[in-house]
Amino acid sequence: MKHISPNQVAGETAVKMPTRRALAKQQTRAKVLAAARRLFSESGYEGATIRDIAAAAGMSTGAVFANFTDKSDLFREIMGSDMAALAETMRDGAARGRGVEDALLKAFTAGYAFYKGQLPLARAAFSVSWAPQDGPVLRNAPQVNVLHELIVEQLTLGVQRGELSQEAEIKLRSQMLFDAYLSNYPQAIFEGWSLDALQARARDQIRILLAGARRG
Amino acid sequence: MKADVHPRLRHVARNPRRPAGVAAARPAEAGPRQTQKAATRSRVLDAARDLFDTQGYQGTTIREIARHAGVSVGSVFTTFASKGEILSQVMEERLEALCAELDRVVPHLRGSTADRLRSMFAIHFAFEARRTKLFLSHIAAAYDWTLPPSAKPFGRTPRLRDVIHDILVKGVAEGDVDPSIDLLGAVELLVGAYGWSFRLAVTEGADAQAMTAAMDRQIGLIANGFRPR
Repeated sequence: MKHISPNQVAGETAVKMPTRRALAKQQTRAKVLAAARRLFSESGYEGATIRDIAAAAGMSTGAVFANFTDKSDLFREIMGSDMAALAETMRDGAARGRGVEDALLKAFTAGYAFYKGQLPLARAAFSVSWAPQDGPVLRNAPQVNVLHELIVEQLTLGVQRGELSQEAEIKLRSQMLFDAYLSNYPQAIFEGWSLDALQARARDQIRILLAGARRG
Repeated sequence: MKADVHPRLRHVARNPRRPAGVAAARPAEAGPRQTQKAATRSRVLDAARDLFDTQGYQGTTIREIARHAGVSVGSVFTTFASKGEILSQVMEERLEALCAELDRVVPHLRGSTADRLRSMFAIHFAFEARRTKLFLSHIAAAYDWTLPPSAKPFGRTPRLRDVIHDILVKGVAEGDVDPSIDLLGAVELLVGAYGWSFRLAVTEGADAQAMTAAMDRQIGLIANGFRPR
């Protein structure tokens, strides 16, 4: 591999300093994304139109289309950055856990806490995830896979530590754990469950899903 | 209303998938107005079922439903408040048929709790698999902003939860379900696994048999978690 000195990196960064035009474009994108986030939260994915989003951002629909190909592109961009932040939050949670069950519970709870303040957006995401075309795209997005991978990692660690048996069926079990994590969102969205209630439910579910893989 | 003479009517009338009970259920001595309203209703539901099953929930509009049913958009709205309510009604009629079958079969199911759950879900998949996209619409509708409180999308019908709960309670009585587990949590796991299994229909083109097989494995894993130790 080619060696890169710190100076060189600094030099390259300096060369790549964004031009004023690029900066303006970045600001436009940020403005559109902020307006879109608000409207998706207020009226859902279906209810928010590009026209409304443009108006809320104080620009023409043409300016929006210059930055994003369509509404689903805009939504994917928002979900992408949120999911990356969510993955980091959940990973931090898992790192604080003692043992596989506790690590998963802390990861899940961190995830619920992350979305607790923006449930309408989560609701829009669930709506999109069941749509015939956009659904599979969103569900197979690399950022979503990162969340799934995080659960796989915890189960693998559990096997390595000897908490779980070698025949832990990690693929199926991690998928089911991820599904269980997601399937509690409707309780939060529609029934206003508290973080404590979500955590208690998740704890019972993780316990059931891990019980069959416990050693001894 | 002109809508009655629309040529679409003939198409709908010979639609073989139309439930036989619909026409018969029309009260014989109802006035012409009630009769017409009932006819509009069943035509709208037939058209909606086909559209949701081909285009999904988001991809279907009330305008299209009206066009396919051969009625005016206005007359759709005199019977239904929204798209979500139409789908709710479609699914409720289907649910009645499914529940009738469950009521007949479930009390006679034998074997372990896991086996009884497997048989019960196999009935579900066999019933819904012919119209998987309709079922996916049913799930997607749960997150629709415009959905009225009266609508009952997937997850908000107590019927499925009750059936699962009864099977688990029986399992506790028979000793193959740990009485200390959170039964409602286990019910949610099973409902979730059932809903998610329909993904396979989209991503892998899974049929009833493939979805049932995937569900069987998940039930096995969950049952392993709730057996007494």
